[in-house]
Amino acid sequence: MAGIRLENINKKFGKTEVLHQVNLEIGDGEFVVLVGPSGCGKSTLLRLVAGLEDITAGNIFIGDALMNRIEPQHRNIAMVFQNYALYPHKNVRENIIFGLKRAHAPKDVIESRLSKVVNILGLEDFLARKPAQLSGGQRQRVAMGRALVRDAKVFLFDEPLSNLDAKLRNQMRSEIRRIHREYQTTSVYVTHDQVEAMTLGERVVVIRDGYIEQQGTPMEIYLHPDNIFVATFIGAPSMNILDARLFDGYVELEGCKLVMENGTPGQHRELPKTGLPVKLGIRPDFFIDRRHAGDGEALAVIHNARIDLIEPLGFDKELDVQIGSQLMKVRLDLRTQATEGDTIDLCVDMRRTHLFDIDTGQRLQ
Amino acid sequence: MDLSIAQRESRLGWRFIAPSVGVIGLLIIYPILYNIYLSFFDVKLTGDKLFIGLANYQRLLSDAAFYGAAITTVLYLVGTVVGSTIIGLMVALLMNMTFPFRNLVRTLILLPYFAPVISVVFGWQFIFDPVNGIYNHLVVDVLKISSSRHSLIGNPNSALGVVILFDIWKHFPLSYMLIISKLQSINKDQYEAAAMDGCGPIGRFVHVTLPELYFVLGTLMLLRMIWNLNKFEDVFLLAPNVETLPIFTYYAAFTGIIDQGFAASISVVQFGVLALLIYFYVKKVLKW
Repeated sequence: MAGIRLENINKKFGKTEVLHQVNLEIGDGEFVVLVGPSGCGKSTLLRLVAGLEDITAGNIFIGDALMNRIEPQHRNIAMVFQNYALYPHKNVRENIIFGLKRAHAPKDVIESRLSKVVNILGLEDFLARKPAQLSGGQRQRVAMGRALVRDAKVFLFDEPLSNLDAKLRNQMRSEIRRIHREYQTTSVYVTHDQVEAMTLGERVVVIRDGYIEQQGTPMEIYLHPDNIFVATFIGAPSMNILDARLFDGYVELEGCKLVMENGTPGQHRELPKTGLPVKLGIRPDFFIDRRHAGDGEALAVIHNARIDLIEPLGFDKELDVQIGSQLMKVRLDLRTQATEGDTIDLCVDMRRTHLFDIDTGQRLQ
Repeated sequence: MDLSIAQRESRLGWRFIAPSVGVIGLLIIYPILYNIYLSFFDVKLTGDKLFIGLANYQRLLSDAAFYGAAITTVLYLVGTVVGSTIIGLMVALLMNMTFPFRNLVRTLILLPYFAPVISVVFGWQFIFDPVNGIYNHLVVDVLKISSSRHSLIGNPNSALGVVILFDIWKHFPLSYMLIISKLQSINKDQYEAAAMDGCGPIGRFVHVTLPELYFVLGTLMLLRMIWNLNKFEDVFLLAPNVETLPIFTYYAAFTGIIDQGFAASISVVQFGVLALLIYFYVKKVLKW
């Protein structure tokens, strides 16, 4: 096993620069998720680590070894591809052990590793089958098995779950977690699905347009997004970004005075507080119906929000509400009795909200 | 009558293929059967036929010239089928890489296949002409490899080589076309996965490209085998002295002492061998 270090990575396809000065350090045994919208460069970054693309500038280290010009077959990494990329003419067993055989591993090593992997993935009954005779989930497992059996220094995952249905995806997600706990191999996982990023990653790296926007533990990123992009990208439904004005001790939103009880003025000391236009970020999950708000809590209140639409989801209800001229998503629990067309008073804990610069989108601190 | 949907569909199917079954029967099956029938007769030029049983076959199997033609045919088949497939494969691999003017080159490669046989045959005969040909000029005058001029086409032994070379040159574009269309459909991550598994370029070719091409190569070789076992004009026009079985048959049937019954027996044997060959090939190689 080994860590990965990326120094000032630059990648151009022709004249288009898709990665700009990326620096990233991944610790030994760490599980890091690269997440971002399609076309942000996350897959390219992964392929650079794999050696499937050449870097334009910068350095890639795996362990202490410089990998810039090393062919993929000599990097001792294993990769799970989005389309699995199994050998169609080899059966499951041959697919899994092919890499070991190429490395001239002794027979007993091959057999013991194979049986361990097959056991973990539950592939015992399929060893003699060809990939065409397997379901999508089974192929996925074989692709995982092929990577696991190799005892590689690094595992790379390129959106491995995106071709599975929702149920199978959840199942495989937990399985990947379980496997990582068992093998403790340094892993880099690429996805555009923020749920996967949150649930799998020990550390999440959010990428946009070839830049790293933010990195941190899933909860750090969820609770303290550095900018509007990260705030809206992570979390579903996405964070509401509203036009508001910042005053001393409160934020004014569509005529409502949202008091910041807990010393927000201190955090924003250097800012002019006489009506500075800001973006106010509130996650749909952090609203509370005023009728169900506890007494002791210091909550700001948004009055007279008009309910456009209610989508019951079981435990939760998702509401589209309008305040003044602005729309936002609100998620309330099933106690809420309001119906479409009603107005409702919504409480929010201002400590859970975010202020962003109206021009740069960066968090105001 | 109450027919199920499947039954009605299969009847409709029969009605659709009836015309082509009729035409094939008339143009192919009838001549084959008639040919088999003829092979048991001594056919006079007047049209009279005398039943002689297996005498034609006896004569054929004791004819040294027949075995000579059979050996020539085997050499011709192996040389052309293997040669054009390998060249086609190599060119396809090359053309699958990216380089400037690739599309133009890809098109130019097909030219030999488009060109009419009769015109390119003259070109080839000119190349190997003992007096004025480029080949002899190069070998004798320029490179000075040999001190005397040779008529490669005039000599039946070397003519076989020229004929094989000609066929490879003329028909490798077909192999190339079929192979490259399959090459282009091979998923790129197959190669990447193989690289992850520790395969270099050769390993990737052996473990990804070849298995993917297996059935294309197999089908290609089958088709070329059938075509070339029956190939007449390419050989006859370029070097009439190379006696493969079709040409041997032609000489027996239409030249010298014309003997159509004997010629019929040659083509029956040839047909039988071809049928057997195809049967085993399809079973073992194509696994139908």
